Amino acid sequence: MPLKIFSFSSLTLFITCLILSILLIRFGKTRTHRAWLGFNLSVAIWGLGEFFVSKSYDSVSALKAWQFAHAGGIFIAPTFFYFVYCLCELKYKRIIFLIFLQGSFFVILSILNPGQIFLSQTYILLDSIHYLKSKGILYPLSLFLWISIVFWGLIEFVIFYKRAASVKKNQLLYLMIGVIIGFAGGITYFFPMFGLRIMPLGNFTIPLYCLIATYAILRYRILDIKIAITRTGLFIAVYTLVLGFPFAIAVYTKNLLLGIFGTDWWMIPLILMAILATAGPSLYIFLQRRAENRLLREQKRYQDTLKHAAIGMTRIRSLIKLLTMITHIVTKTVRISFAAIYLHDRQTNEYALQVFRGKNQAPLAALSLDSTLAKWLTDKREPLIYEEVKRQMQDSGDNAFKALEANMRLLNASVIIPILLDHTLTGFVVLGDKLSGQIYTPDDLSVFQVLASQAALAIENAQFYEEAKEMQAQIGQAEKMATIGTMADGLSHQINNRFYALSLISGDSIDTIKMTDTTGCSPEVKAMINQIYSALERIQANVMQGGEVVKGILKYTRKGDEGLEPLTIDQVLDGTIDMVQFKIKLSEIDIIRNYPQEIPKIKANLVQMQEVFFNFIDNAYDAIVERRTTLKEEGYRGSITITATPKDNVMQIIVQDNGMGVKSEDIKKIFTPFFTTKASSRKGTGLGLYVIRSIILETHKGTINFHSEYRVGTRFIIEIPLSGQV
Amino acid sequence: MGKLLIVDDEIDVREFAANFFRKRKLEVAIAGSGEEALEKIKQDKPDVVLLDIRMGGINGIQTLEEIKKIDPGIQVIMVTGTKPEENEAYHKCLELGAANYVHKPLKLEELEQVVFNTLNKDKVA
Repeated sequence: MPLKIFSFSSLTLFITCLILSILLIRFGKTRTHRAWLGFNLSVAIWGLGEFFVSKSYDSVSALKAWQFAHAGGIFIAPTFFYFVYCLCELKYKRIIFLIFLQGSFFVILSILNPGQIFLSQTYILLDSIHYLKSKGILYPLSLFLWISIVFWGLIEFVIFYKRAASVKKNQLLYLMIGVIIGFAGGITYFFPMFGLRIMPLGNFTIPLYCLIATYAILRYRILDIKIAITRTGLFIAVYTLVLGFPFAIAVYTKNLLLGIFGTDWWMIPLILMAILATAGPSLYIFLQRRAENRLLREQKRYQDTLKHAAIGMTRIRSLIKLLTMITHIVTKTVRISFAAIYLHDRQTNEYALQVFRGKNQAPLAALSLDSTLAKWLTDKREPLIYEEVKRQMQDSGDNAFKALEANMRLLNASVIIPILLDHTLTGFVVLGDKLSGQIYTPDDLSVFQVLASQAALAIENAQFYEEAKEMQAQIGQAEKMATIGTMADGLSHQINNRFYALSLISGDSIDTIKMTDTTGCSPEVKAMINQIYSALERIQANVMQGGEVVKGILKYTRKGDEGLEPLTIDQVLDGTIDMVQFKIKLSEIDIIRNYPQEIPKIKANLVQMQEVFFNFIDNAYDAIVERRTTLKEEGYRGSITITATPKDNVMQIIVQDNGMGVKSEDIKKIFTPFFTTKASSRKGTGLGLYVIRSIILETHKGTINFHSEYRVGTRFIIEIPLSGQV
Repeated sequence: MGKLLIVDDEIDVREFAANFFRKRKLEVAIAGSGEEALEKIKQDKPDVVLLDIRMGGINGIQTLEEIKKIDPGIQVIMVTGTKPEENEAYHKCLELGAANYVHKPLKLEELEQVVFNTLNKDKVA
């Protein structure tokens, strides 16, 4: 009886380890998977060897069986250690080599067994089993090494488990328990070798280990086992029942049936089979549906949620709300530890973090456009999975993968999903580990990809909407200015009337006081009259000034459609300064006119030219103020120099300031409509230079150029055709 | 010595300008609109008229025309709130025989000068 048990259990051991190995061969992808495969194969060989031992009829054949068993069994220790080395990312490369070396040595020794120095003799254990007896020094030595290596591996495993993130801990726990159970039983193989007469328990605990390991694989998706396995498993299970049960009845209860039914006893198993075979398919389908629903339940749940999210997304107009919604939904439905979205920032030209959810400290702020990751995502247009990248890096040692791995690690990414619009990478979504510890299946990724492409559209939409709103605001502002311009005539007339009245009233009163003889008045009255007189004079002065302001506005707001005429630069500048003095403090800067008095006239439109120079001076002033407040240089004095030189038939006018200058990355953009670098408190509409350019190029048929150096200054160079008059 | 008619739709302008010129021994009449001005002229012809261009009712230029019809010898000084050169009104007024063209706001001394120059021109002529 012990033999039968031993035989059956070792066969079970072999089969379970073999199945586990087949799973690993079929679905294993990483180096760790392969290491584990090696381990399981070694155990399988040991199991098979034990089976042969149980079937051997004399000690010679038994010894041969033991040799065979040891060929696998000895390798159990090195393969286990290598498996732990891969799983826990240890650093013992050289030790690995030594361990395998000793393993190979002993394996060769057991296969060849010259003079039976290694495996020498057997004895009868428990009345039936030809068990190996340890003799000499080599065998105990090999055993000692074996046990030490396994022990070491287990310790490393436990240390790693303790240190692991909680997410990984789930995966590892079952594996660890299974392995410990397996080895605990496995140790008992050695006791009989030294005389302790007990049944080796390894045959029972090791299949248990296989079961636990398989459970871990399925539960935590350690291997990407598809539904196919479940179906196959179910099929085998159902049909083993359908066919096997009647078969077993026929075999084991033949005598009993013979006794009851006589020669027709075979009808019983047959009828049983017929019944079961009819019920079989329905049972199979029923089980399959239940199993798949369970498997897919989780997935279906969040796939549906994500689908709904995708539809609702395009309606959100605020970019930040949209991004927050996406991270929120993704982390909640798929139950992820952490999610972040990075978008391309046009101004800084990098992928900047927009929103994140789930981490306590902020993750990496930005990723450069030139990074390997950004280029890869733009190129391949597919999600990146950290585990796979790491595996590729380990396998191929390619620098690209090294960089990708580093990038992903910096971002804390388990998965990165690109957000693509046409051919550009608008941004990307970083996802951390799933809280459940499961891996990301291809189904997950395809759902995310759909979400990402929807997101791309929604983001584009939101960005466009926000830009449109801003543009609207600016156009509204520009229109308002234009309306004020058209109202200027009526306005100025009204204002001038007030000033006229004021000047007459105060003027006449002054006149009256002058004409009155105050010699007879008391000193108090004289003083009072003097005070009133001064006050009236001040009113007069203010009134005159007011009149000048109105004149200036009128000059500026005239519609400049009246065509081109000969103008001197002084005319233009005088008018400009008249106007600009109300916006900027002229006393703070020097405006230097660097051209001779007798200079040819230009053919231009006075009002439009004043607009041009107003803009130049205004921008220069802002740059000067920015420099003054940012750099705070001693003795810095802002200056704007206007130089004019006739060249052939154009006048070249250079407006140079010593302000802050423009950053090189902005230089290309300054003539684009709505571009402005001004801080919001003094917001330029950004229309200025765009309109200026249009005035110079189209209306005046001149040219405009621009140089700037950050922290040095800015220079505008325009050329206007000469008028031909002097 | 002379007769002055001040035509302006602003009451402050009328009163204070009138007061000013009365101090200088001119006989000053005032009118608040073009029509009123023409009425007054028909009753009592002034030597010089200070005529505001923009008024309600008939504007200054039409009034000028009418005045010249009544008596071409009356000197009319046009007063405007807008820049002279850019207005075709300027040329029109000269055509119609305006004696002068000033724009507000202007200093009382200037106004005084213009009025008296015009008066004396009248006298000489």
